[in-house]
Amino acid sequence: MEDPSSRTAHDGPPGQVARGGSDSETDVTREIKTHFRVCRFIMESGVKLGMRSVPVATACELYHRFFECVSLRVYEPYLVAMSCVYLAGKVEEQHLRTRDIINVSHRYFHNASAPLECDREFWELRDSVVQCELLILRQLDFHVSFRHPHKYLLHYLMSVKALVNRHAWTRTPVAETAWALLRDCYHGVMCIHHAPQHIAIATLYLALNSYGVEMPVGEREWWQVLCEDVTKEDINAVISDLLQLYDMEAKCV
Amino acid sequence: MDRDLLRQCLTHHGESLFNTLQCEQTENPDFQAVASDLAKATYERRGAGEGCSLVEQFIARKADILFCPTWRTAVPREDELEDEEPYAIMPPAELFMEVPFEERRAMLYRDLERGDAVVGRINNIREYGFFLTLLCAAGGLRRDIEDLELSALCHIKEIPSTGSHDDPLSYYQIGDLIRGGVKDLDRYQEKITVSLLPASLCPRLAHIKLGVVAREELPKHYSRGLRVANDTRETYERILRGCHGYHNPSVVEYLLGRAGVSDDRPPSLMRGLQSKHFHEEDFATVIRKKQSASWALKCVRSGVDHFKHGRHVEAMNEYNKALEIDTNNVEALVARGALYANKGGMMKAISDFELGLETCPDHRNAKKYLCQTLVERGKQLQEQEKFVTAEGLYRRALSLDDSYPEAQAALRRITDTIQKSIRLREEATAKETEKAKSGKTSAQKLRKILKDEKRMKKKRKRSSSSSSSSSSSSERPSLSPTSTTSSRRRSKKRRRKRGGSERGSQRRRRRSSKRSEEEEEEEEYPAPPNTSASFLYRQGFLGSGAGRGEGGEEGGEEEEEVVVDDRRISQLYSLSAASEDEGSEPRGGDGEGRRGRSFSSHGKGGRRRSGEGRRRSRGRSREEGRSSEEGRGRSREEGRRRSRGRSSEEGRSRGRSREEGRRRSRGRSSEEGRSSEEGRSSEEGRGRSREGPRAPPPSTSTSSSNGQGGVARPPQPAGGGAGKKGLPANLMDIFNKIAKFEKEKGAGPRK
Repeated sequence: MEDPSSRTAHDGPPGQVARGGSDSETDVTREIKTHFRVCRFIMESGVKLGMRSVPVATACELYHRFFECVSLRVYEPYLVAMSCVYLAGKVEEQHLRTRDIINVSHRYFHNASAPLECDREFWELRDSVVQCELLILRQLDFHVSFRHPHKYLLHYLMSVKALVNRHAWTRTPVAETAWALLRDCYHGVMCIHHAPQHIAIATLYLALNSYGVEMPVGEREWWQVLCEDVTKEDINAVISDLLQLYDMEAKCV
Repeated sequence: MDRDLLRQCLTHHGESLFNTLQCEQTENPDFQAVASDLAKATYERRGAGEGCSLVEQFIARKADILFCPTWRTAVPREDELEDEEPYAIMPPAELFMEVPFEERRAMLYRDLERGDAVVGRINNIREYGFFLTLLCAAGGLRRDIEDLELSALCHIKEIPSTGSHDDPLSYYQIGDLIRGGVKDLDRYQEKITVSLLPASLCPRLAHIKLGVVAREELPKHYSRGLRVANDTRETYERILRGCHGYHNPSVVEYLLGRAGVSDDRPPSLMRGLQSKHFHEEDFATVIRKKQSASWALKCVRSGVDHFKHGRHVEAMNEYNKALEIDTNNVEALVARGALYANKGGMMKAISDFELGLETCPDHRNAKKYLCQTLVERGKQLQEQEKFVTAEGLYRRALSLDDSYPEAQAALRRITDTIQKSIRLREEATAKETEKAKSGKTSAQKLRKILKDEKRMKKKRKRSSSSSSSSSSSSERPSLSPTSTTSSRRRSKKRRRKRGGSERGSQRRRRRSSKRSEEEEEEEEYPAPPNTSASFLYRQGFLGSGAGRGEGGEEGGEEEEEVVVDDRRISQLYSLSAASEDEGSEPRGGDGEGRRGRSFSSHGKGGRRRSGEGRRRSRGRSREEGRSSEEGRGRSREEGRRRSRGRSSEEGRSRGRSREEGRRRSRGRSSEEGRSSEEGRSSEEGRGRSREGPRAPPPSTSTSSSNGQGGVARPPQPAGGGAGKKGLPANLMDIFNKIAKFEKEKGAGPRK
């Protein structure tokens, strides 16, 4: 598992001409903002296409992993995003039609427009998506199946629920909050820099903390028990990354 | 904002959070509402650990989402599936956490509730019950309580009785594993009472069986917990990986459903992803539908272009392509239907139009084309003599477009044709009945019927002009509910024309609905149902009409045949059980028609009645087809009545009048008698009917039959008109006749 601070080492696409300090900052920030916006596009399209949470997470992770190694200048990020959505649907067994992806994306960019006609533009778009999909596969060496925090989070949720009084649990919307936090993680690169169990623990921790839920204390903490190798620092790191994403929303969108 | 939640949160985080909250949520009116309450309490940081200002800032910023009452959307689903393992059922976390004894004990007493299920081992049996050492909870509460050594009492009266008089406690031994429901819980004194009665469980757990359990039936979380307790190397993660349910591919959906979180409108704390920002029109399914419609329309347009240039094959291909893109596309269906209609595939065209109209009931072109196609098809069917179906199609066309003149004309023509055919049929059966009065076997009768029908068909075609040919057959006095198909068909129309006749058969009533449709076109008001004399009227009407129509040409034999036919068929019907003569099958219709005809023949009435009677008998014959038994009985009565009444009025149909005359003279006692009467009266009646439909009111049977017989049958409408006027008087006469007949029946022998 990478140290979260290593993220800052990704200053920009490799091979790019080094810039002056402020320029590279702006470049990096600009890139991060672009990635944020594109991931927002993926999440929105996921909802409109009726995708489940796990395929959306796969799509975001594919996107982040792809752009870990390539330059934003060479590849159009939104096209890559559309192909990631298409590929993720295949990987996670929730197959989507390219026609739907193109329709939703077209409407995203051209607000309240009429649906595309079955003409050359449509077929060209479709071809592009399919070609890009192959490109992504090759870039990722065909390693496209990931372990996601979602399964861990849900099991942890069940275990933690057993520790708490049932009425207190129904009063407190911990499940929704933890799930929302987990989904929002995927706007940034943090999702590939932390282990899935750690992300799950951290989101659950934050959700419980937000509502001030009291947990029983034993020899070990509940989060220590659920995941052996997580430390408080890990949890804090994840939480701080996540909170930064929320701050970025205000700046980007 | 949820005040209690906020308070809980503030209690955990302390004053600093409250200050931050106030900073961030100043514009939020919901917060201001609760802020005053919360400000009253001072908050000490209760939560362990560092107060992370970042976290507090996050909570403060997102408080309007986090504490919004609508945020809590989860509806947890708690189904107990212990046998299958759709997810990894883990041992209680407190086991791993090594929560101290006291805390676990306190937690259990806090969280255990009445109605829960627990598993325990018997450690002591007294005469008033036994004591359990609790091992675990069986209803979903996962706690590590075995070493707490909690003792629960199960009173002897909480043990279900076994029926025998043994001591129920004798079934239990020390060391047995018992599953019971928590009946009572005293938190302060820390006493638990357990019961083995199913009523002690809460409804959610009602399926759990109480009583002795085997070691294998212990809850999974308990048995796994035992493994952990024994082996310190077992970690949560290891057990998790080892669980079968963990590797269930749909475990995420399952657990999400259990937690109650929705994946369709997933929750998010990002401002831009809140569900209110999503519009329905942006969703994939909606766009796809609109797009399919637009693509299909393009194909349809090109198809229409092909069609206009005569390239029918290409046009059909385009239409099919359009329907593949967008099934149930109205324009494509209408265009394809028009193409089918042009090429002569009427049924396919009709089905396409109907499908289109289902989706879009106001499509002008669809309605127009459908009307035209229906009329076309109706004409085709008419040529094939499928009158009833054709009539149905015309009606459908008219129901779509009231003012479609061609359909109206076609409908009128076909109702006439049907009436005529029914009348003919009735005459034939009347004649038949006359001929085959007694001693004829059903087989013979049937043979005769078949012969007559063929003949009648030919005659019907010949005498299509005789509109007023009330189905003489219907005048057959036989009580059996016979009617020919034609009469049935006619009776449909007749029903309408009858208007006001009191043919009170159920069948008539049933058919009166159909009749009323006809009557719109026939301009007669519908006959009131359930009047005994309606048959008389109908018969009279029919008799006059049919007789008039066909009498001239066909002469007595026909009537006789018709009468005989009727009779025979009515007998047939009486013999066989209710045979539903549905559809336009001529034979069945014949039966009905004959029945109807007999009824109508019974229903003596004026001209009007003849028309009505025809309709009535037709309707009746239809109804008869439906319930011949009822009809039979009724027809008998009606026949009787009709014969009586008819004697005064009838004269329309040859056979009918014959029957009537006979009836009149003799009164109706039985079918056979009637048939014989019919036979006789048909002869008389023939002559009489030729005299004219305007028969004097029924004073004596003979006079009336005389009057009726031999008179040239005036056209049906006229007859109908006259009948109308005569109705009230006839009614009274008919009732008198009924009374007379009853007397006669009692006294007189069957003739």
